[in-house]
Amino acid sequence: MNAILGRCLKSALVAVSLSGIASSTVVAQEIPSVLPPGVKLPRIVLMSMGGTIASKATDRMNINNYGGRGLRVDPQEWVDALPELAQVARVTTEDMRPPEPPEGATGTGGGTTFEQLYTVARRLQEIAKDPNIDGVVVTHGTNTLAETAWFMDLVVDIKKPVVFVGSQRPWTGISGDGPLNLYNAIRVAATPAAAGKGVLHTMNQNINPARDLMKTSAYRVETFKSNDLGTIGVADPDAVVFHTEPTRRHTYKSEFNIALLPPKLPEVEVLYAYTESPGYLVDALVEHGVKGIVIDGTGAGSPAGGQSEAIKRAQEKGVVVVATARTRGGRVQDTPRRSEAKIVPGDNLQPEKARMLLQLALTKTKDVKEITRIFNEY
Amino acid sequence: MQRTQRRGIRNGVIGLLAALATFALPIAAFAESLPKVMLFTTGGTIQSKGAHRLKLAEYSDGKVTPKELTDDLPELKKIAQVEVREISNIGSGGMNTELLLKLVKGINESLAKSDVKGAVVTHGTGTLEETAYFLHLTVKSDKPVVVVGAMRPWTAISRDGPLNLVNAVRVASTPEAMNKGVMVLLNDTIHSARFVTKGNTTRVETFVSREVGPLGFADSDRIAFYRSPLTVHTAKSEFDVSKLTSLPQVDIVYGYQEASRAPVDALVEGGVKGIVFADSSPEYGKAIQAAQAKGVVIVQGDRKGSGRVLTSERTAGRGVISADSLNPQKARVLLRLALTKTTDARELQRIFNTY
Repeated sequence: MNAILGRCLKSALVAVSLSGIASSTVVAQEIPSVLPPGVKLPRIVLMSMGGTIASKATDRMNINNYGGRGLRVDPQEWVDALPELAQVARVTTEDMRPPEPPEGATGTGGGTTFEQLYTVARRLQEIAKDPNIDGVVVTHGTNTLAETAWFMDLVVDIKKPVVFVGSQRPWTGISGDGPLNLYNAIRVAATPAAAGKGVLHTMNQNINPARDLMKTSAYRVETFKSNDLGTIGVADPDAVVFHTEPTRRHTYKSEFNIALLPPKLPEVEVLYAYTESPGYLVDALVEHGVKGIVIDGTGAGSPAGGQSEAIKRAQEKGVVVVATARTRGGRVQDTPRRSEAKIVPGDNLQPEKARMLLQLALTKTKDVKEITRIFNEY
Repeated sequence: MQRTQRRGIRNGVIGLLAALATFALPIAAFAESLPKVMLFTTGGTIQSKGAHRLKLAEYSDGKVTPKELTDDLPELKKIAQVEVREISNIGSGGMNTELLLKLVKGINESLAKSDVKGAVVTHGTGTLEETAYFLHLTVKSDKPVVVVGAMRPWTAISRDGPLNLVNAVRVASTPEAMNKGVMVLLNDTIHSARFVTKGNTTRVETFVSREVGPLGFADSDRIAFYRSPLTVHTAKSEFDVSKLTSLPQVDIVYGYQEASRAPVDALVEGGVKGIVFADSSPEYGKAIQAAQAKGVVIVQGDRKGSGRVLTSERTAGRGVISADSLNPQKARVLLRLALTKTTDARELQRIFNTY
């Protein structure tokens, strides 16, 4: 009886404190004053980089055409819609969304820029040192979420949990997955065991690490998988459980840091390999001045068509070439032939992730052996 | 002409020197510096022979001895000093508590020696995951233990055994494989004993860790690890079977529509100490209460093959233990070991949450 009364009182107080907050960039939420003495809920920053989860549609059956001007969810709306969070964490919000798109524009996830990545990475680095913050949740559009999460995994020196989250259906969609995803992401960020495991992702009750995270389905809620590997944990109703932890270098073990990066990363582009894939696209990138090229190779990571000869021309001009496998499963191996051809094996990274790692590696070295070491360790 | 001849002689000399350099000279110096790996053989398809090489599924035409295994793989000599100890030569269906205890005692004795860097165990694939998980809970060492098998007999066309065995020895001699508990290796893929299960009756990619995925891969260029298991295992495990000669009896009851409670009653009658349920049936409710009244411990598992059995106040209130993500056959392995320590439901649930 007392417990129920207490819970009601607490919810009421949280509701009052929330309604009084103006929507500004950083919102401080008061600790519910009726929490039993001694209970200190973790302090979690909920950072919005937008995404489908931050999008509205004109009606709830509209789950594939949403967002754009006037159809965005403010971070505070999430918190208001999830009073249950008051039992899990003390949540403050930060708005890192790009400015509202112009009239008539739609789309949510494809627009992330390196400028935004730098801004968010710098903020996460600040949070790492802030004694008043215990963990971070970042929302993001699902299309390039894995790239952004991987970038943070490589350049932010942080042990606190950083959990990326998104949704496949807009916040207003029927059977929207956003609310449970967001609730679970905050639960994971509030879990001490989530610390030190690198940047994580939580959607559909699964926990995956940024390195292996891959969007595998355009619309289904189970879209995110750990490519080639598996989930490292689950956010089940009874508990957040971790089964395994990643062994590759990340966050606090990384040799890269946002504070030491040049204002602009070396340019690296991705080319796909297929029957008769032409060499002139390689030449065009070299002409354009790229410092590296990722060839998303056939089979075990082989360039095809005119690419092999063009790669030699590119390498003569100092361009570093990494091979990934378009099979999306299996490592690209360091074979004698590949090593003789001075092609860096991209391990089992997706090409868009190999691109980011190569961009970072090129800020340190152009040596193929050293870059191969980096690809073996991250 | 003369030049060609001279080149020929020169190439011959270079070839001879190269051969000496790559084979004759290093092997002596090499062999002693190679890690020592203990190979325990228990049998299985990997140690089976078929009447001819197209016999992929029928292969009770003889056994492969440990010596035949290693003689067939001279390449092992470049990877490790392999020392063999035969435990049995049986199919995995015949594995039993006596052999399991003999196996783990042998492994613990070997790994206690400083020069032994790891162990490999051959095993039939049918119950391989049960033996691997048993070892995962009872081996007292941080050194790698790799359980290996094959889907095709040693005599078959495109047999998978040789590469699996070579890769198992490679992983067992890899320093990076330390502290990862017992691993299962087939088809180039390294799984944790905690999560792996046989997921296909006949294919070479049969072993999978549903949801959780593999720990890494044994590729030709190197052993690549990506994950480390977080459940408690091997050196940190609380289970000690060194002085045991038997384990408490635990059996499994499957659940399906209109399943009868008769098997449950029969097991209780038979003196079982614990029952693992693979799913449920309305009939089981009363039978479980009757079993519990006689001190039988009940673990609730599931037949779906992935996902956790959640803990809830309701099941805890009924004194039923949740199997977490363990499949019924592995929940049985853990419950047998747990019952050597306690019969307290809360303590048993802690054990199931930990391992």
